[in-house]
Amino acid sequence: MSNQAYLELQNIHQMFGSHQALKDVSLNIQEGEFVCFLGPSGCGKTSLLRIIAGLDTPSSGELFQAGQNITQTPIKHRDFGIVFQSYALFPNLSVADNIAYGLVSKQFSQRDKQARVSELLATVGLSGSETKYPAQLSGGQQQRVALARALATSPGLLLLDEPLSALDARVRAHLRQEIKQLQEKLGVTTIMVTHDQEEALTMADKIVVMNQGVIEQIGTPQEVYTHPNTPFVAEFVGEMNFIEAKNSGDGLMQSGTLMLQCEPSSESMFGENVKLAIRPEDIRFNGHEDDKNSLNAQVLHLEFLGSRVRSLLQIDDHETPLIADISMNEMSGLNLAQGQSVRCQLPADRLHIFGGHA
Amino acid sequence: MNQSSLATVDQPKIKTSQGKGSKWLSHRSLDEWSLGAVLMIGVLALFICVVLPIYTLLSKSIENKAGEFVGLANFSHFFATPSLYNAINNSLLIAFLSTFIVTTLSFLTAYGISRTRIPFKGLFRTILVLPILAPSLLPAISLVYLFGNQGIIKELLMGESIYGPIGIVIGSCFWTFPHALMIMLTALANTDARLYESAEVLGASPIRTFFTVTFPAAKYGIISVAFVVFTLVITDFGVPKVIGGQFNVLATDIYKQVIGQQNFEMGATVSVILLLPAILTFITDRWLQRRQSALLTSKAVPWVAPKRLWLDRTFFALMVLVSVVIVGIILMAVYASLVTFWPYNLSLSFNNYNFDLMDGGGWDSYWNSIQMATFTALIGTGFIFFQSYLVAKLKGFQLLKWCFHLFAILPLAVPGLVLGLAYIFFFNAPNNPLNGIYGTMTILVVCTISHFYTVCHLTATTALKQIDAEFESVSASLKVPQIKTFWRVTLPVCMPAVLDIASYLFVNAMTTVSAVVFLYSYHTSLASVAVLNMDDAGDIAPAAAMAVMIMLTCMVARLVHWLLGNVLLKHTQSWRQK
Ligand SMILES: Nc1ncnc2c1ncn2[C@@H]1O[C@H](COP(=O)(O)OP(=O)(O)OP(=O)(O)O)[C@@H](O)[C@H]1O
Ligand SMILES: [Mg+2]
Repeated sequence: MSNQAYLELQNIHQMFGSHQALKDVSLNIQEGEFVCFLGPSGCGKTSLLRIIAGLDTPSSGELFQAGQNITQTPIKHRDFGIVFQSYALFPNLSVADNIAYGLVSKQFSQRDKQARVSELLATVGLSGSETKYPAQLSGGQQQRVALARALATSPGLLLLDEPLSALDARVRAHLRQEIKQLQEKLGVTTIMVTHDQEEALTMADKIVVMNQGVIEQIGTPQEVYTHPNTPFVAEFVGEMNFIEAKNSGDGLMQSGTLMLQCEPSSESMFGENVKLAIRPEDIRFNGHEDDKNSLNAQVLHLEFLGSRVRSLLQIDDHETPLIADISMNEMSGLNLAQGQSVRCQLPADRLHIFGGHA
Repeated sequence: MNQSSLATVDQPKIKTSQGKGSKWLSHRSLDEWSLGAVLMIGVLALFICVVLPIYTLLSKSIENKAGEFVGLANFSHFFATPSLYNAINNSLLIAFLSTFIVTTLSFLTAYGISRTRIPFKGLFRTILVLPILAPSLLPAISLVYLFGNQGIIKELLMGESIYGPIGIVIGSCFWTFPHALMIMLTALANTDARLYESAEVLGASPIRTFFTVTFPAAKYGIISVAFVVFTLVITDFGVPKVIGGQFNVLATDIYKQVIGQQNFEMGATVSVILLLPAILTFITDRWLQRRQSALLTSKAVPWVAPKRLWLDRTFFALMVLVSVVIVGIILMAVYASLVTFWPYNLSLSFNNYNFDLMDGGGWDSYWNSIQMATFTALIGTGFIFFQSYLVAKLKGFQLLKWCFHLFAILPLAVPGLVLGLAYIFFFNAPNNPLNGIYGTMTILVVCTISHFYTVCHLTATTALKQIDAEFESVSASLKVPQIKTFWRVTLPVCMPAVLDIASYLFVNAMTTVSAVVFLYSYHTSLASVAVLNMDDAGDIAPAAAMAVMIMLTCMVARLVHWLLGNVLLKHTQSWRQK
């Protein structure tokens, strides 16, 4: 049982006319997992979610739940709750009626229904709002009602399509935590679509990074952040500096007149063009001159970002400037100023190498 | 109760699809299949009630009396007969004149309502759309009393006769005006205040602002009005019938060919010629709608007119003038219907309302009309709204939906007269299994619904498009049948549009003449047709009385609509308020 996935997608393709929205998507989801589909607008996240829900049928490919093929199963026989980006609350029904909408009368008595509704409202922190109408609620409250409605039938799978994107930053951060806690408490398998990398990093057990209809990488937030598989993932999740270079063998990479030492890897072969990448926070300043990859640079610009300072560095003998983030603690020791020359280091173990084919 | 019960994850109750063979069937639920079947019935109904009759009419125009194919012989005969051919010139003359007058007047009055600070806008607006509640015959009858041989102010015409082009143009302008005004008001309503502010900041003169901001925004509305009025006038036959005298137009020609001479083939031929302007209008209108929607931005800021003393006074005077003319024409008809014996005994009485003493069907025809309008409103609204709902909200069935939309738009391009004739050809054919409905109330209802289908379909579609596209997905995910969501959510949310459709259908069913005049029988005579027939028989005062009855009934219908919409809905739809 443990190695059988709760949900299994095999080679899903989706065509809209001549436009291919999904290309050969395969994916396993374990029971109780919180999975995020992350990707830029139009990359096919919603399309994939709708296929999982059964709202759309894929052009080809198959979908298994607990080992059974459900590709063609009507929605009626599936087991999921869904929250749409627009919430799709019924405007003419009260909050209580909205939540009770899926509680069919033959299984629930009126009293059971009422109890269930107040229980769900308590769960999402909206007790006492039974008689209000959706138009009388704020965006964040509407979103909670939509969540309660989706959870009302105790589905085994919860699907969330950009549930937080219509809310302002503060409410969003708050709800992010709440949804995650609720999901852990209920243990319901959850798939959330988002284009906000921060949301994905903080909430997901597993992130599925998508781009133009294909899956670029599947992994835990740490994996995706620290070991991006492709330049796209590297750039989309977190921030990244890129340096064009050529493999000169023995882990040495040459970019113009610069020679950079990297950890040996099988990513590229001798003589090949590669892309080196390093995150702004991985660039160091307090190194020694004879450290590996220690470089002279000029500070072009400094930008105060609250907890840290962002600097734009012009490396000697290198064309494109790099972005480096310095924590405020470190900053107080460094005393950087615009126009100043500094010594910085690109640690070998923090340099990502993307082969020429990438 | 603790929250752990929420965590009781149901065992996935999943049925495997029944193998590859039934793949095609199985991804739709029974629910969706039955709704699909209803959609299929809708497509068939429109095919039978709209497409087939028109096809039959087209084929009749290239056949002779014996039903043999004669190519374009009917058309060459038409163009070779000077009296028939003259009708084209006459029709064009009338249509162009009326179009010019109505477009100008409706633009000015719409401007007055939406862009000036004149008082009593609501009152003016109500008065200006009054003509829509009367049959098009009413202004014609009024004109007879005002300017006819014994007219009370016939001196105003300085010896010209009202029977002919003058009468037709005035009458046509009167009844097409509200249609034009409504389009114009919509066109002028959606101009963005920010454009005016920019123009002002850039120092543009008021005249320049008018021609660079106001006019371009209303341009499509104006073109649309021009086409709509042109088609309405050229295909109307009520007004020319009553006041046209010896002045032949295409629409009266069809009537004479068919009713007078039983020359059905020539009637079909003239109908086909009448279809041309209507189709041209139809295409232009579709094209304009695409252009216009591209112009609209969602963030437009409403514009508040500044105080402009002289402009406001001028427009106030204009509004008063137009309102006086409209109210005058209506009151003339009311007065004429109450005068005992014009012009010799001017004492007031209800004698003319003794319809049972006249030819034309008597009071029965009035009750028939009420019955017909009620059925049309009830059945029509139910059918139209539900079908539009299926087209907008049912998953899949792309081909069916495409056909449906096409068939639903088609009636807009078919003048009532042409539709009525097409119905004769199609339903009266002895080999048609539906032959039995010919001459019954059913065919009148079916024809009227078909005739006014498009506007209702578009109203319903617009309302349905405005509600969230995911309601059906949500209810599917909650395993609630789609039809239940229709009842509990979609229908209540769209109630205002449903009421609009019902009232539109009722009023039009009461006032329409053009299609039903070919289809009524001795037992199903209608009020609007009775007006025509009584007028024909020289009973002009009773004709006026019947026209007034129709108008009053429509006013009551509008009042009921208003009450339902503003009183009942406001109370039951508290959810609309924030
Ligand atoms: N029903 C449809 N018909 C045609 N094209 C569609 C349809 N649905 C989606 N697409 C196209 O497929 C692509 C993927 O769409 P999808 O809605 O899955 O993107 P998304 O990743 O959810 O984007 P967003 O973040 O903007 O919601 C888009 O290019 C979209 O235009
Ligand atoms: Mg999306």
